[in-house]
Amino acid sequence: MKLQIEHFRIESVRWSSASRLEGRTLFLDIEELKNHILEDERIQSVEIKIYRLGDKARIVNIMDVIQPRCVVGDEGVDFPGFIGPICLAGSGRRKSLQGLAVIVTNPGTNRKYSAFLDMDGKCAELSKYGKTINLCIAPVGHADVPETEFEFAVRRAGFKTAVYLAKCAGDPAPDDTEVFDLDLPSVSKEKSSLPRIAYYYQLYSPQHDHRGISDPCFYGTDISYLLPTIVHPNEVLDGGIVGHSTVRSLDTYTIQNHGVIKELFRGHGKEFIFSGMVCGVANMEPLQRKRKAMMASSLLKNVLGVDGVILTKIHGGMPHVDVAMVSEESEKLGIKTVVFVQPLVSQGSLAATSLFSSEMVDAIIVVGATQEKIEIRFSPKEIFGGTEGTHLFTPDPFTQRASDELIVTEEFLIAGVHDHTGGARVIAKEY
Amino acid sequence: MSGVKFKVVHYINQFFGQIGGEDKADVGFSKKEGPVGPGMMIESLFDGWADVVATVICGDNYFTRDVEGNARKFIEMIKDYEPDLVIAGPAFEAGRYGVSCGAVCNAVTEELKIPAITGMYAENPGVDLSRGNAFIIKTGNSARNMSKDLSKMIRLALDILERRSADSFLTSDGIGSPEEYEYFPRGIIQNVLSDRTAAERAVGILLKKIRREEYKSELTLPRFDDIPSPAPILDPAKCAIAVVSDGGLCSKGNDAGLSGRGNAVWTTYPIEDFFSEDKGKEDYEVVHTGYFSVDVLDDVNRLVPIDVLKELVNEGKIGSIYPLYLCTSGNATVAKKCQVMGEGMARKLSEDGVDAVILTST
Repeated sequence: MKLQIEHFRIESVRWSSASRLEGRTLFLDIEELKNHILEDERIQSVEIKIYRLGDKARIVNIMDVIQPRCVVGDEGVDFPGFIGPICLAGSGRRKSLQGLAVIVTNPGTNRKYSAFLDMDGKCAELSKYGKTINLCIAPVGHADVPETEFEFAVRRAGFKTAVYLAKCAGDPAPDDTEVFDLDLPSVSKEKSSLPRIAYYYQLYSPQHDHRGISDPCFYGTDISYLLPTIVHPNEVLDGGIVGHSTVRSLDTYTIQNHGVIKELFRGHGKEFIFSGMVCGVANMEPLQRKRKAMMASSLLKNVLGVDGVILTKIHGGMPHVDVAMVSEESEKLGIKTVVFVQPLVSQGSLAATSLFSSEMVDAIIVVGATQEKIEIRFSPKEIFGGTEGTHLFTPDPFTQRASDELIVTEEFLIAGVHDHTGGARVIAKEY
Repeated sequence: MSGVKFKVVHYINQFFGQIGGEDKADVGFSKKEGPVGPGMMIESLFDGWADVVATVICGDNYFTRDVEGNARKFIEMIKDYEPDLVIAGPAFEAGRYGVSCGAVCNAVTEELKIPAITGMYAENPGVDLSRGNAFIIKTGNSARNMSKDLSKMIRLALDILERRSADSFLTSDGIGSPEEYEYFPRGIIQNVLSDRTAAERAVGILLKKIRREEYKSELTLPRFDDIPSPAPILDPAKCAIAVVSDGGLCSKGNDAGLSGRGNAVWTTYPIEDFFSEDKGKEDYEVVHTGYFSVDVLDDVNRLVPIDVLKELVNEGKIGSIYPLYLCTSGNATVAKKCQVMGEGMARKLSEDGVDAVILTST
């Protein structure tokens, strides 16, 4: 499978009567984009704005962040299963805009948690989206559209916007091209002295489902009951898998630039052989956990035949147990494992924060403490995606408003600070 | 650094304060202007950056008879100096001295909001007893290497004094790592930036592990006590059975003040009233941010199976239901706090003559 991503660097965006890319300036016909979004009958109106570093703006009720990308030529479909027909993602040419992100907000959300971002001050400094030009959309639904139905409409509007923007690029020479070329069947036959490495991607946990309804994030469907499944890593990079609807340090943009997958491509053929990946989910019941850990480790050992695996996890406490069990079962089969964890508290020793105990799980990466408390002092002149009265989550009491000058929050609620795919340099350490 | 010298207060025991040895360990507090004993070396190591403005001396026995009270007394004695930093000891392997130095430093950090540094040998009981906001530098076991150990303390002191107002990444206070400055971790976890991404670090460790080379895990898992299961109850029909749940099911209003995450509180509710049939969804609340609670609120027996237990009592299969439901919220609470809650619950149940407990979780 070969995926070729052509990058176009964007340095400014201007409104215009005709959407196009000139040099590094993207000219946008906002009316055309709005009409494109409003083709979805569930959406009554949509506000669109552009923010960049230094703007005194706070963006709230964020459901997703997306890198603008589109298919070039006839191989592939944009975000298959989400806005396009079902089609395998991961092969062909793509256009991708760098330095520009689509931020999708849902001003009418009833979710208790949703992410936010300030375009100036500490948030902007910490978040990778503080450095991008952000085209933000805020769709408003018709009164009779049920909540979940409208959330799907909002997510779709985000993907459609991302594709629309990338299509503006026309056909100039890209600034940079990345090629993800991995033929797994031939890799599996190859004789090599290099170690064979796989990736285990825990990509969903139903524990935070809003009103008990899982978010669709795999070719348009939800996957709460997914049995461990082998996919090609290119499918992940190419929109087959997207973020869930609460950001929680894992939005679509982050998945399109997946840290571990890109790192494994980088070292493939030089230090090791990247021999594929297995997707799994966190489970609510112990028996399911055991069953799926067995299946995942067997796929790694008996199907992919790897020597080692890197395992990442989704946000939350309980998913630690699942990922540790996959690690343990894999070690029992002789596969060396490295497991990602996130400390959930900021007190005590790192060891005391661990949510599992197994002598076999002995190589652990400590990504940031995503729930670390943080104080943000910022006076927004503008609030996008909500109103001054929009609640911003804080553990207790739940009284914080978007217009407050001092926001006490936890870092996972700021879009773009932490990254569960391993792409960030944040690490939690004992002091 | 500004041109003004930093002000340092030094705490030492009767021995280093040149009052006397073990025979003088009962002597109370005294205070001297300027440096005494190791304070001379501290001042010279600061090399003009700081003065030891006062030295407080106290006997080891005297101090450890009332650690908290004496730490407060120490604060009263020094606060008028408006110091920038307090140094205590170092205490090396001396246990009572270590405990005193640790208490002094923690009190200073908490009440005066200024840094405090002491030094101890790894096996000094003061290291574990006083782990908190204070910095405890790793020293040798005796005063033999006093100047080397003091230099480590001064090196950290200068670093902290320099950086106190500096901006730094995430919530880190910008202070150097325990490895770099050779101090015992204070029980504070902070996000900082590594020089490599988590993905790069993971590949590095995995390759070393596969090649059987030495690697360093970023977290070493704790070893938990192996607690054997108690013997099964022989005749449930004669037993009083209690129900304990960490699912966070409380009366509406959460009067006991449980937290939905990192909770350290447990409470009890009389079963007859709490699970009365007149109660409905609106009378309860689930204080727990780790699971989806709609199913529990629809029927609280799904979490705490009182309905079934009552049937079993009526059928004579179990003796009785202990009249209180013990309630807590178990979600990302550190193991030590869970242990404290567990011990409290177990004591209560055992005192009240409960024979067996059903624990339900989420």
